[in-house]
Amino acid sequence: MQDRPPSSSSSPIQRLIEAFNRLPGIGPKSAQRLAYYILRAPADEARDLSAALVEVKERVVLCSRCQDITDQDPCRICTDASRDPAVLCVIEEPLDLRAIERTNSFHGRFHVLHGVISPSDGIGPDDLKIAELLVRLNGPDQEVREVIVATNPNLEGEATAMYLARLLGPLGIKVSRLARGLPSGADLEYADDVTLGRALEFRQSVE
Amino acid sequence: MPARIPRVTHTEAIVLSHRRLGDADRIVTFLTPHRGKVDAVAKGVLRPRSKLAGHLEPLTRVDVLLAHGRSLDIVTQAQMLDGWPGLHIDLDRLSSAMYLLEVTDRLTLDRGHGDDNLDAAPMYGLLNASLIRLARGDGTHLATRTFEMALLEISGFRPEWRHCVACDTPIDTARANWSSLAGGVVCPECQHIHPEAVAIAATVLKVLRVIQNGPYEEAARVRLNPELAAGLEAVMHALMRATTERALVSAQFISEARRAGVAAR
Repeated sequence: MQDRPPSSSSSPIQRLIEAFNRLPGIGPKSAQRLAYYILRAPADEARDLSAALVEVKERVVLCSRCQDITDQDPCRICTDASRDPAVLCVIEEPLDLRAIERTNSFHGRFHVLHGVISPSDGIGPDDLKIAELLVRLNGPDQEVREVIVATNPNLEGEATAMYLARLLGPLGIKVSRLARGLPSGADLEYADDVTLGRALEFRQSVE
Repeated sequence: MPARIPRVTHTEAIVLSHRRLGDADRIVTFLTPHRGKVDAVAKGVLRPRSKLAGHLEPLTRVDVLLAHGRSLDIVTQAQMLDGWPGLHIDLDRLSSAMYLLEVTDRLTLDRGHGDDNLDAAPMYGLLNASLIRLARGDGTHLATRTFEMALLEISGFRPEWRHCVACDTPIDTARANWSSLAGGVVCPECQHIHPEAVAIAATVLKVLRVIQNGPYEEAARVRLNPELAAGLEAVMHALMRATTERALVSAQFISEARRAGVAAR
């Protein structure tokens, strides 16, 4: 390891900076800092990082049932016999699954849509994993009695939830949505009319 | 001495769309009555405790304060005036409202420098009135068709349903062809100029004329059976596609939502 890093015009370090710069949320300065950190770090750390990057691209696939990202197909949640097979939670992105799992309040299975219906972004129902959901519900997951649509509480999430409710109607499955209301730590003064209205509509008695 | 440019704009606006900017910000596209379409950065709206987030969703009419930035304005305050709750209880109304937002966005130019006195009030009023009609449960077909026709007129793309677009000859509804690229009806003699023109049903053409002549209450008296409604929709969607020069995903979504409904019944 040299005391001073080589000139940034040398090819490998420049390539590394450019590679970091392509990542979301990483600007040129941050890319430079990360690249020089790697340069100064022990060789093992750099090798671990590079192996992890290669592994994630080679071994991680979409679960053929729930469409979550996984390193085994079907994924651990789909093969977990302790999960309630009668309840399915439909979510937008794999990160939403991690958020719901952190609550420890849901013990059913998941289905990841990989997006929501968003005409302004050119995304329609055919661009989502809705066909795969129908295949599941008509085939291996016929015991599902309730589908909880956990899309974000915005226009696109609402349109997707209503579309799914209409689509799943003929299957005789109960379709529900996550409750909408005020988040913890919110300030009523700044709440929008829709959120405050829903919070009043779905109020709960205090025990 | 040049007029001093105000540092902030206080205006009413309809949120047309938004897109993500970085980890917690969004660029929100507004339609305003006096500045037309305006993009502005809403900082921190993706954070759970954001005070602006709920007020800046598409399909919301807001009272907004915009601070003028070098390239984009910054949203400093927003208060929802109308969220049209009636749109959020029915998929047909919601998908039609999304279509209204998309075509408005496509047919409105971005505000350039020095366009601060742009008169977008007719377009703003039209979108607001049409969303009210959809939300209160007027027929989605009629509310959407009257919106499309008026929007094309305001944007300078008024379709011609009475006279041939090539030779100005009055057209008989019983034997009419029409072309989305030419923007109206074509007489048999001018068919060679517009070979893409196809036949249009007499009843469809008559209703298009009624809708174009207005007022809305007059058009609202027409009884639209499913076949007639489908014919009108096919013509107007083709016209909007030709005018905006791109496929409209929300138009496809309206059809897919309806198909899902048919399957449900």
